[in-house]
Amino acid sequence: MKNKPSLNPNYALQVASERRKNLTSWVLTAPALLWLIFFFLVPYLIVIIYSFLTADIYDVKFEFTLEAYRQSWTPAYLHTFYLSFRLALLTTFLSLLLGFPVAYYIARAKDKVKNTLLIFIIIPFWTNLIIRIFSWRIFLAYNGVLNNLLLDLGLINNPLEIMRTDLAVILVMVYVYLPYMILPLYSVLEKMDWTLLNAAMDLGANEVKSFFHITLPLVKEGIFAGGLLVFIPALGSYLIPQLVGNQKSLYLGQVITYKVKNIPRNWPMASALSLTLLFIVALFLIVIYAFYNRNKARRHQ
Amino acid sequence: MKRFSAGQFFKGMNLTVFTLVMVFLYIPILILIIFSFNDAKIITGWKGFTLQYYVLLFQNKTILEAFRNTMLIACLSTLISTIFGVLTAMGMENKKFSGSKFVSALIYIPLVIPDILMGVSLALLFNFTKVNTGLFTVLIAHITFCISYTVIVIRSRLDGFDYSLVEAAMDLGAKPGTIFWKIKMPLIMPGIIAAGLLAFTLSIDDFIITFFTSGRGFDTLPIYVEGAIRRGTITTINSLSTIMIGLTLLLVVATKRIRKIVISSL
Repeated sequence: MKNKPSLNPNYALQVASERRKNLTSWVLTAPALLWLIFFFLVPYLIVIIYSFLTADIYDVKFEFTLEAYRQSWTPAYLHTFYLSFRLALLTTFLSLLLGFPVAYYIARAKDKVKNTLLIFIIIPFWTNLIIRIFSWRIFLAYNGVLNNLLLDLGLINNPLEIMRTDLAVILVMVYVYLPYMILPLYSVLEKMDWTLLNAAMDLGANEVKSFFHITLPLVKEGIFAGGLLVFIPALGSYLIPQLVGNQKSLYLGQVITYKVKNIPRNWPMASALSLTLLFIVALFLIVIYAFYNRNKARRHQ
Repeated sequence: MKRFSAGQFFKGMNLTVFTLVMVFLYIPILILIIFSFNDAKIITGWKGFTLQYYVLLFQNKTILEAFRNTMLIACLSTLISTIFGVLTAMGMENKKFSGSKFVSALIYIPLVIPDILMGVSLALLFNFTKVNTGLFTVLIAHITFCISYTVIVIRSRLDGFDYSLVEAAMDLGAKPGTIFWKIKMPLIMPGIIAAGLLAFTLSIDDFIITFFTSGRGFDTLPIYVEGAIRRGTITTINSLSTIMIGLTLLLVVATKRIRKIVISSL
């Protein structure tokens, strides 16, 4: 016969031990927890407050207004959102297009070669971002390496204007974010059960069919992880459009930065735009999360 | 039984794309390195070999100071965020921890939010509290974005931890302190080093959050480089970049094991 839990001395001991463990967990996580509350959560509360205030030349006046939000919805700012969204989508799509074959190739390579190939992907990934952008400026400049090469080869008669165009922005965006797509794709492809493909072939599927019915569903999670890692930072990118783009198409990251860094400052506008960006990102994450859970639930059925 | 060969077409396509991507990834870097030895003030054509820009680099006080600032911030934020990471990861080991959902959320959310938002929000915090921006505020910012990464890397190392070793030690009469220092620490050490290395790289690399939290007169290398590009005073940037690429290369190649841990926890 079972003892009543409360009468069982072992049970009481176990409860006490669990309580102590729980307390230890709180104490151990407390430093990081408090740090993130003070320097990650609280700042957003201030962003929310500032977005309802009135801009002053350097600072803010504590007068409540909805001006910043009203301005965010004017065509000029909506166009900025549209441009940033388009850039992020295009970057994600192109990274996937280029990244998938690369990840696939590495995942199917021999174990010994695999590691070396991965290092080649990681070296640029770990190289300073601003240096990588700078090197593209040297490459693409009007009197830069690419133009000199093409002129010398006689392929063009006049230097191409690539620097300071939207083409340069998208090129460098893909360059910078590609490893963020390749690495998660690689890690799912690496774990994939290749015998399933053999089975599909035995059952008469051709390569195209087995790719769409087997490989793709299996690596969906990698695609979503990679997509997330590329799309979200791309949405708020500042440095790339600033250093290789033109001032005609301003992206969200640039506009937000100008509001904070240029005089007259407009903290409320920067706050309102940041919150809108945060809202878009949150929405995006919720959709992905829901999808991810549904996928998981289906697999457990 | 017919083996799946990925098909000649797919294989050929993957190899082609792989090669193209490799060229794409390395062309700008190679050009940068080659041109750091070019004897020309502006970047047009090859004018002969020189080391003068490397000499100029080491004579430039602003760059040396920016370098010192970068290293100081990187070392301090690595140290502090790694300590936070170890503590948090150990606290979250407990499966029945009542705050585990909240802590997880707080750790993971910073990873999926664009950097610029953390920059703006911290700039606002320092504006609101009227703190003087400089080394101190940059350090706070760097610790804030490093914590999430260190926790995740160390946690993934603890996930694969073999608890039978701890049980064996307990059976043999080891005290909790001994168990921690003699068994747990050495086993999770590669994870801790990987986390630290990641934090260090992230800190050295960061531009945007530093840009929002540094204020005038406090430059890190990325901030200096961006300013130099904007002002057009770029003669020493090539040589500076080449040295930094060299250091990265050294770091990546020298730490094979750590690299694996970082990749697998990404």
